[in-house]
Amino acid sequence: MKILIYEDENWINLTPISYLKAVFELRCGFNSILEKIISILPEGEVILWVRDYLKELCKEKFNYKVNEEDFLKDDVLIVNGRWLIDRRVELNLKEERVYLSNGEIVYGLLKKESVNKYWNGNINDFLKILISNVKKEDTDFTIIRFPWNLVHHNSKLIKFEFNKINKRGISGKFSEKACVYGSEKDVFVAQTAEVYPFVVIDASEGPVYIDEGVKIFPFSVIIGPSYIGEKTQIMPGAKIREGNSFGPVCRIGGEVEESIFHSYSNKYHDGFIGHSYVGEFVNLGALTTNSDLKNDYSNVSVYLNGKPTDTGELKVGSFIGDHTKTSIGTFFNTGTIVGIMCNITADNILPKYFPSFVWFVSGKFMKGYGVDYSLKTAKIAMERRNRILLSSEETVIRKVYEMTEAERKIHIEKSRKISK
Amino acid sequence: MNDVEIIERVKKVISEVLGVDTDKIRLEDRFVEDLGAESVQSLELVAAFEEEFGIEMDEEKALEVKTVAKAVDFIKEYLKK
Repeated sequence: MKILIYEDENWINLTPISYLKAVFELRCGFNSILEKIISILPEGEVILWVRDYLKELCKEKFNYKVNEEDFLKDDVLIVNGRWLIDRRVELNLKEERVYLSNGEIVYGLLKKESVNKYWNGNINDFLKILISNVKKEDTDFTIIRFPWNLVHHNSKLIKFEFNKINKRGISGKFSEKACVYGSEKDVFVAQTAEVYPFVVIDASEGPVYIDEGVKIFPFSVIIGPSYIGEKTQIMPGAKIREGNSFGPVCRIGGEVEESIFHSYSNKYHDGFIGHSYVGEFVNLGALTTNSDLKNDYSNVSVYLNGKPTDTGELKVGSFIGDHTKTSIGTFFNTGTIVGIMCNITADNILPKYFPSFVWFVSGKFMKGYGVDYSLKTAKIAMERRNRILLSSEETVIRKVYEMTEAERKIHIEKSRKISK
Repeated sequence: MNDVEIIERVKKVISEVLGVDTDKIRLEDRFVEDLGAESVQSLELVAAFEEEFGIEMDEEKALEVKTVAKAVDFIKEYLKK
């Protein structure tokens, strides 16, 4: 059997955090959506299907075939790359059928004959044809549709995955002067992790998982449910409130609540980040803060695909694209979207939407130093963490620069008109 | 637009962005060393020149311009187009 894990046209609703990544690379809980999917799959050859401009990059990143039509040769298990595995799942593969959640395919088993009959080279057409032609069944599985869905499900995922992995207790270096509040059964400190004196791990309301190579410096508090990824450092005095997932090699200080930091990002200093998703290689300057609750307690709306979208949520923070940097004292409004490779400097009331690659200086959108300069800076930032910018990654960044050029110009023009 | 007018308008923009009196701005002045431009202000200068002259400059080439005289020449090239 072949297994096709795909992203469809709805990747656009997960921008800006999906601009440089396939949707299944996004993180929630302990790891990426893809890692969760892989963990429930039966035997079979996995093939990934991504938007065209990510094809070469995904080939370099993963040991799977990408956008190859090999799956036509066999029965196929199709799996939506936005399916969040947030419970124990047993796939029903007895007969040809697709399983839906709110009208979208979650997964399905297709006979070779059906695949060959309905496949026309376009994943979006294929999915629509399947829904109309193949036996289907509704489910309540979780499909990620918008960036705030990842944040919303994070606490639940951490609890579920902590129990699933079932590693408990303190293996690493744990100072006599640090303490666990709650049960040690709800804490895991990996062998190479280090917890310094005067750290409080509060697992009374949810588990805390501290992965390999993590350092938690003095006077920090980590409240569960929380997951601290490999080699991440929690800076002195940090308040890591409930519901946080930090991917590998982040540096986190200040106060953070119900947020996901993808990986390699820094929020070294004080300042509050809540209900947010922060991409890769993001640097948040000292005191960078976001609002995640409106003063009138109404639903937060977010500017998505050119129009305001009601999230249906009371608490929504910021969604910050890869390689973006903020200056000291940047205060983001509730429900702010910041594109990739932006440079934001503080101003009184910031806009709620920043197109990718813009610089926001003295209250105005500016085009910055251009894509070459941004790439040069990205390479330096990555080398500092022993990573290199792949040439396919550079191609993807240049592509996104082109794709976002029109909206950037509109915002720059509008900003000039307002300032006159 | 003649050269004198361009120079006057360039100096006006520099004065507004960097807070330097126009009569103290000389053509040979360097933006960073003589006029005290910070890196972010060089971006503001590019944006302000674009607004003032209704042109769109290549950001990377624009940022290679180091003196007032070079900025005048650079803008003149765009105005010719």
